[in-house]
Amino acid sequence: MRAIFAIARKDLRLLLRDKGDVFFTFVFPVVIAILFGFVFGGGSNSGSKLELAVVRESDSVLALGIEEDLANDAAFETTAFPTRDAAADAVRAGKVTAAVILPKSLDSGLEGLFSGQGIAIDAVVDPSRRAEAGLIQGKLNELAFRQFPKLFANGDEMKRAFSAARTSIASARGMSPTQKLLGAGMITAAESFTSSIGDEDASTNASGGGANGAAGNTADFTPIRVKVEELAPRAGRPRASFDVTFPQGIVWGLAGCFGAFASSLVTERARGTLDRLRLAPITAFHLISGKAIACLVAGLLVQALVFAVALTFFGSQIAQPAMLVVACFAAAFAFAGLAMALAAFCRTEAEANGAGRGAILILALIGGGTIPLFFMPPFLRTLSYGSPFRWAVAAIEGPFWRDTPVSEQVVPLVVLIAIGFLGWIIGARALWRPFAR
Amino acid sequence: MMRRNTQSSCVHYPSQSVLSLRDIHRRFGHTIAVDGLTLEVRAGEVFGLLGPNGAGKSTTIAIATGLLAPDAGAVDLLGLGSPANPKVRMHLGLAPQEITLYAELTARENLRFFADLYGVSNARARVDDLLALVELDARATDRVATFSGGMKRRLNLAAALVHDPKLVLLDEPTAGVDPQSRNRILELVRRLASEGKTILYTTHYMEEAAKICDRVGIVDHGRMLDVGTVADLIARHGGQSAVTVERDGAEERILTADPVAEVARQFARANSDRERGEVGREVTGLRIERPDLETVFLSLTGRSLRE
Ligand SMILES: Nc1ncnc2c1ncn2[C@@H]1O[C@H](COP(=O)(O)OP(=O)(O)O)[C@@H](O)[C@H]1O
Ligand SMILES: [Mg+2]
Repeated sequence: MRAIFAIARKDLRLLLRDKGDVFFTFVFPVVIAILFGFVFGGGSNSGSKLELAVVRESDSVLALGIEEDLANDAAFETTAFPTRDAAADAVRAGKVTAAVILPKSLDSGLEGLFSGQGIAIDAVVDPSRRAEAGLIQGKLNELAFRQFPKLFANGDEMKRAFSAARTSIASARGMSPTQKLLGAGMITAAESFTSSIGDEDASTNASGGGANGAAGNTADFTPIRVKVEELAPRAGRPRASFDVTFPQGIVWGLAGCFGAFASSLVTERARGTLDRLRLAPITAFHLISGKAIACLVAGLLVQALVFAVALTFFGSQIAQPAMLVVACFAAAFAFAGLAMALAAFCRTEAEANGAGRGAILILALIGGGTIPLFFMPPFLRTLSYGSPFRWAVAAIEGPFWRDTPVSEQVVPLVVLIAIGFLGWIIGARALWRPFAR
Repeated sequence: MMRRNTQSSCVHYPSQSVLSLRDIHRRFGHTIAVDGLTLEVRAGEVFGLLGPNGAGKSTTIAIATGLLAPDAGAVDLLGLGSPANPKVRMHLGLAPQEITLYAELTARENLRFFADLYGVSNARARVDDLLALVELDARATDRVATFSGGMKRRLNLAAALVHDPKLVLLDEPTAGVDPQSRNRILELVRRLASEGKTILYTTHYMEEAAKICDRVGIVDHGRMLDVGTVADLIARHGGQSAVTVERDGAEERILTADPVAEVARQFARANSDRERGEVGREVTGLRIERPDLETVFLSLTGRSLRE
């Protein structure tokens, strides 16, 4: 045990005394996190479509109309989901950007519009996608308004709506006589207005109404209310893009650790110090474990540093601190194991630097190191399952800001720990032969 | 029959034997690095392995420590068996030919690390003692990267001693150092020997071998050409001494087994010449050349050690 810790302490010292390693392990990740935070914070307009989950609970003409228009809209890629929960899960898992719920209340069609409630549409968004939330909200308002001409064009629907509205206004208890009078007047005005309404007018109105709806103010009368709900709403504090980019920074920090340690065995071989290690009464397992522990500690240090910066300077909050610690351990463990596996296989420093850093760069890129997973086109996102970085990001984001239930955090944690063990064992075994001679 | 053979080969190892290599062969591709080499290092001696670059000294050391497996032949350390076994190789310490230290760690951190690897008890005190022994106590907290060649060499040697091994293998421990540092290292080796360590010392400098080794083995092309004390080797292979007498600017070179007697004879002749009044035949110079390990190497291989 003493030998293992001696090796770990020695390797950490060497890491901290190498300026290049310190930069790539500790400085670079923080810089990346902050830089990307500002880039993504400045609003995102990636050319790709936003993926929407659509849950239609109403079979009304209005609901069907909105669903159809959403599907035909160039800005969206829609998928139908059976329940709100399923859709919310998909948002949480990052499979879609937002979920739009067309609730049962749309059954009442236009009646709701004049009863003072307006038409309610719910949307569930990933808190990291605030920029998209506004867009979706505006778009939904627009689409809802676009349904009006269709409804107005249907005379029976119209008459039914106006009479229903009259009755509901007359019987409404919360309305003052003045308001009732105004309401009745509006309905009359609307009745005469419908004969002259056209498509262009509808769209003009739509943008105005959209802005109104997006503001989310509950004015006394809002014809269409799109209620946007963030998945993990946190009182008073808007979630920032930094919440997304700091886990990305961690990915780069882990990549730095990996790079430093993947080449450390080769360096020992090249400098001859490996001979001294081989002469000492230790086994390959001691050596690999000592180095892996050093890598693990370095990985934890990076993560602690990144989170310290995020909490101190960027107002991030941690949803589940205990689970986050577990996730950080698992992530660092996975990369320590990976580094050891690579370290034991590479025979030259050039190999370790080339293969090691090259492979890690690609894995970091497809694993969400630069492009967040939810911005990726679907095929890349599928590819990302092959990257340990993706699992690290998933494991860290869950308890950090997604606030996912612990049951959903198990999979990434198990994957990371499995990667770590596997690498560790492969490393020790690969090293065993030359070491034992 | 087989059994008796095995037994008799065991009997060949005296209890004194610390390291024994028997008929070692090792090749790298087409290069034959060690070619049937046999040697035995006895307790308490400084055994020198003398040979030119490429003779196979380092390969022999690597095999002796268990770092490298021989293609054929047997290695035994202290009668305990092969040093490939970690329990056996605990008893040896190696200072490799290359400086094998962590340049970014300090002298003390390096030694402490190796002491911890060996589970040395009271490591702190042990490290301080060693730093004092190799006269690096004043630079203990400086990084090795800032050291001179001689200082690195001394620390490289100290790292072989952390676990107080019985056998110390020093592979060209003076390579690349200035003469003053070299003398310090040679003194250090003698001191270790006087404290009871057994030392296997490789070098391609015959002066070093002659100065500090109790016995010397001459190697070339991976073969042990002869082993013995320096005097034995010279007696066997050095040939005669030369006495060079200079008279009136003319030199006469006389080969003799007993140069002192020859010198005395030359003086006696000069005296009698003077008494007989023969002038112009004064001896103006006299030089004795004794054979040395260089001569031995020349006579064994037909080549010079320092080609
Ligand atoms: N790892 C190796 N691979 C190939 N050839 C080697 C290797 N080690 C030594 N040799 C060759 O074996 C011979 C003996 O080398 P070495 O034992 O280092 O000699 P010395 O230490 O006496 O200078 C040399 O010809 C050298 O080139
Ligand atoms: Mg050598």
